[in-house]
Amino acid sequence: MDENNQRWMKGDGLYVLIAQVVALALFLFLWEWASRERIIDPIFIGQPTKIFAYLYNGTLVDPILFREAFWTLAATGAAFFLGIVAGILFGLLFVVWPVSEKFFDPLFSGLNALPRIALAPLFLLWFGLGLGSKIALGFSLTFFIILNNTIAGARSVDTDWIVLSRMLGANKATTFFKVTLISAVPTIFSGLRLGLIYALLGVIASEIIAAQRGLGQLLTYLAGTFDTNGVFAVLFFLAIMSVILMKFMSWIEARLLRWR
Amino acid sequence: MPHEYEVRNEESVLSENMETVAAPLSGGGGTAKPEDAHGAIDIKAVTHEFPGNVLAVSDANLRVRGGEFVSIVGPSGCGKTTLLNLLAGLIDVQTGSISLAGSPPKAGRHDVAYMLARDCLFPWRTALSNATLGGEFRGVPKKERVQRARDMLRKVGLSGFENNYPKALSHGMRQRVALARTFSLSSSILLMDEPFGALDAQTKLQLEDVLLDLWTEERRTVVFITHDLNEAVTLSDRVIVMSARPGRIIKDIPIPLERPRSARALQKDPLYHEIYAEVWTWLEQGLNGGDDG
Repeated sequence: MDENNQRWMKGDGLYVLIAQVVALALFLFLWEWASRERIIDPIFIGQPTKIFAYLYNGTLVDPILFREAFWTLAATGAAFFLGIVAGILFGLLFVVWPVSEKFFDPLFSGLNALPRIALAPLFLLWFGLGLGSKIALGFSLTFFIILNNTIAGARSVDTDWIVLSRMLGANKATTFFKVTLISAVPTIFSGLRLGLIYALLGVIASEIIAAQRGLGQLLTYLAGTFDTNGVFAVLFFLAIMSVILMKFMSWIEARLLRWR
Repeated sequence: MPHEYEVRNEESVLSENMETVAAPLSGGGGTAKPEDAHGAIDIKAVTHEFPGNVLAVSDANLRVRGGEFVSIVGPSGCGKTTLLNLLAGLIDVQTGSISLAGSPPKAGRHDVAYMLARDCLFPWRTALSNATLGGEFRGVPKKERVQRARDMLRKVGLSGFENNYPKALSHGMRQRVALARTFSLSSSILLMDEPFGALDAQTKLQLEDVLLDLWTEERRTVVFITHDLNEAVTLSDRVIVMSARPGRIIKDIPIPLERPRSARALQKDPLYHEIYAEVWTWLEQGLNGGDDG
């Protein structure tokens, strides 16, 4: 790309940013206006200034959003971690010992096909309203994503690499750990990013259904009391939290896979 | 002058060859070496068939002396790579016998190194780390293998690139790393399957010179598969011509060019072109199945 093109691209980027800011400002203005003038009932759409007031109070004055986010993130982290460990272990087991995949196939196919949210009542019964049920639901969603990516990654290893390793004198274990496993890392990582989103999804869903603490529980409470501004504030907070989590994963990926 | 090779399935062809090539390897080529069992390869009456009655190699006989550089050329699908994979132990011998330095082929033997057409560098390893790979897999002490790999990277012209990942290297540089990885091993036998097949003409010439330098310095036994007749003539002590499938060895041509050689300098040598023309003639016969050879 020549210098002129780069300049144009930079110029385009700036114009797009200005257009985005203007569009957002216009949208918020119209939203505020429609709400204030009761063109649409604020019970349904809230009011931007009040939403930001809730966000300000909920983060800086009485940080309820951070307190509840702690429980949500703790459950998400635990579900994600367990999903990674189990997903990668089972994935590698299936690759190394294909008979085990055949053995587990009916169970895992059935569970994977099941809408996992439907398991929430059972998890609540088993693990109660605390962290346990949320972790279980988050795990049930994350596990299969990481399992499938681990299998796909480990099975897509370049056959020439395997031949070369064999010729260089590597035994099966060395080939597995130093070639197959490492070559699967990029595919596993794309599963991790998706798995984290699904872990959060499972935890929030579990909290919405029933929980003592967490952003999902707060969301249900606010919706139940018709505090629409609070609901929008929590949603906005969740969106920011998710973006930060994704950025964090991308940062780890960039560091670990800098050879790509 | 007696030759030290045998091509038993086409004895008449071989005797004709002995007459037509004026200066055989052990003569004026400047590469005279004593018969050396170390690194010698013996292929006796090898026939290989793939499932579906696909006869890939038919009654191949070949003897390669220790320290000799032998290229195998032939039409696509003639069984060159099958023959190399049999030597490497990647395919089991069905009929006939093969011995490398007196023992049968086995993948992972420490006295055999193998180089593929693709560089096959691991993208997660630096150039140095890729070059040390064989030593690492074969349990060579770290200090020793790193020193050897550094030395080889220097010889292939990659000093200063040791810490670069493959993504930051050009195609030619990557193949140089693969060459360094292969030569970092102290294997006496090198099996090379079109290692420069995917390179542009200029890079290929450069790497041929690098390979010639490395081989001249270490004199290992090399079996080199190639489609490129220029390459075969430039590098080899002998060129083996195979016929179209089923692959049979139809000609064994000694290359009486002086060593040390330079791939670029040889382009101006009339003898080089003469040999090239002869190899080409035999290859053309090979394309027709070699029946008239």
